[in-house]
Amino acid sequence: MKPVIVVHGGAGRIFKDREEGARSGVTRAALKGYSILKEGGNALDAVEEAVTSMEDDPHFNAGYGSVLNEKGEVEMDAIIMDGKNLASGAVSAVKCIANPIKLARLVMEKTEHMLLTDHGASLFAKAMGVPEIPGEKLISERSRERWSKNLEPDSNPHEFKKDPGTVGAVAIDNEGNVACATSTGGLTNKLVGRVGDSACIGSGGYADNHVGAISTTGHGESMMKVVLARLILYHMEQGMSPVDAADTALNYMKTRVGGLGGVIVVSNSGGWAARFSTKQMSWATVKDDQLQYGIYTGEIHTSSVIESK
Amino acid sequence: MGTKPVLVVHGGAWAIPDEFAERSILGVKNAVKNGFAVLEMGGSSMKAVEIAVRALEDDAVFDAGHGAVLNADGYVELDAIIMNGKTLAAGAVSCIRNISNPVTFACSVLEKTPYVMLTGTGANQFAEKLGIPQVPVEELVTDHAKAEWEQYRKYKQTVKSLFNTELVHDTVGAVAIDCEGNMACATSTGGITNKMVGRVGDTPVIGSGGYADNLVGAVSATGHGESIMKVTLARLILFHMEQGKTPEEAADSALHYMERRVHGRGGVIVVSKTGEWTARFTTKRMAWAGIKEGVLMYGLNPGETIQEIIKPSK
Repeated sequence: MKPVIVVHGGAGRIFKDREEGARSGVTRAALKGYSILKEGGNALDAVEEAVTSMEDDPHFNAGYGSVLNEKGEVEMDAIIMDGKNLASGAVSAVKCIANPIKLARLVMEKTEHMLLTDHGASLFAKAMGVPEIPGEKLISERSRERWSKNLEPDSNPHEFKKDPGTVGAVAIDNEGNVACATSTGGLTNKLVGRVGDSACIGSGGYADNHVGAISTTGHGESMMKVVLARLILYHMEQGMSPVDAADTALNYMKTRVGGLGGVIVVSNSGGWAARFSTKQMSWATVKDDQLQYGIYTGEIHTSSVIESK
Repeated sequence: MGTKPVLVVHGGAWAIPDEFAERSILGVKNAVKNGFAVLEMGGSSMKAVEIAVRALEDDAVFDAGHGAVLNADGYVELDAIIMNGKTLAAGAVSCIRNISNPVTFACSVLEKTPYVMLTGTGANQFAEKLGIPQVPVEELVTDHAKAEWEQYRKYKQTVKSLFNTELVHDTVGAVAIDCEGNMACATSTGGITNKMVGRVGDTPVIGSGGYADNLVGAVSATGHGESIMKVTLARLILFHMEQGKTPEEAADSALHYMERRVHGRGGVIVVSKTGEWTARFTTKRMAWAGIKEGVLMYGLNPGETIQEIIKPSK
């Protein structure tokens, strides 16, 4: 099986000044994940590495650079899933750690549970020796700016809510195993304790070796209402291609619940898709040593991996 | 009035011991009658499932609200979900403390916020803002839950062994279709004994612990939470029904898939958009009860269905 990785840096409206950062962030993440796959590494490691790279990148709404809740704090959700045995780990409303996706992986591998939240997630992080970092270290200038703008009485929160940033990755390795990973800081100025799709299996992501893997981004509540990731795989089980499955599901989400979003898909035969009903979604993929990436609908840049290094 | 209303409830899928059998049956019968009274008067499926699940939460024989099991710290942490099949709107709460009726709080999340899910401390703060009374944990804890917790801490039993012997209390839930054809589901739980602090199972995760869609049907699930999540059980059953399977075929198909693929057992209650319904389980027992067209059906053991004609309430 030729390994494939696809990553996204969020679907929504990417402000012009953020475009370059988004493009370079997703390409960097995809190349990092791909180098693991190229050396015979597994899909789980590849998606974790790609998402970690974007959590560390303040251009994205995950880890460092996460948006702030109404109290001005960073609260994060993340999920990782192994398509081989449907194992999964997730965290919701976790604070003061740099890489929620790594903690999600620890939940999957070191506990008999699949989702830890809030205080319990922090206790577990401590028990696992995950360094606790002061919350302020995760706050970027931009996140703080947006948070205070939204507090102003004449603010237009919808304008800023459009600025996306949830990150994710899907991959298939040379043994044909698929995996997905998704991580986010959620919605800016959200109520403390609000959990979106990114921590919810079937909504923020799903991976099954029998079909494929998905990571989603966009309006969290809408994706939860249609259990978007699982819905796309359901269409693929019925014979649709990744592109058709993604478009059908995104269109359903728009008409049924009025929500927009984006998804990345990899099928168990190595096919892939990056589709979105929003204006933009930063994405990148590497397959056969070829890198492709884009932000706007129909935009695809191609280069060889060797050139991109 | 177009549709004949239906309400089905469950009180958990596990090896319910004989000492709880009678109370469990009484509990589900009581809850289904309470919920069905709402439908009979032309009330909504949302209201009906909320009332039914409240009755189960208030009944200490079930692992939800009062009677909930204890986490590793000896505390009670609760999860719940409610979903509106017409709009696909949902409200869910995870890991909340000191609240008697998590299902009602989940309903508030749906009605009073633009969100689907609230968790932990933030959720509790919001409850306070809404004026939902905080009850001391002692009010929610039963002697039995405490004794079980002490036993498991003493012998350090793992989740695996718990489910192999199925010595675990379980979740409660309800599904309904009202006279306008609107569907709803609700599920509520205290989780599993001695779970890690902050552990969230299938119950509040949309598509796993429950799902409702007027175009297909409504499901509430119970059993081994992690297994239910791995196969997104509620949504899976509805996928099968979209393909033409009956509720019973869809439920059995999905439950057997869960057993084969991830070695997990559980139970579900399902109602279809045409008012057909079923209660199926792969565990040793599941307490369930359903009312439709003046007939109450209930059961506990595999293959068991007992029927009673009921008079409509005045």
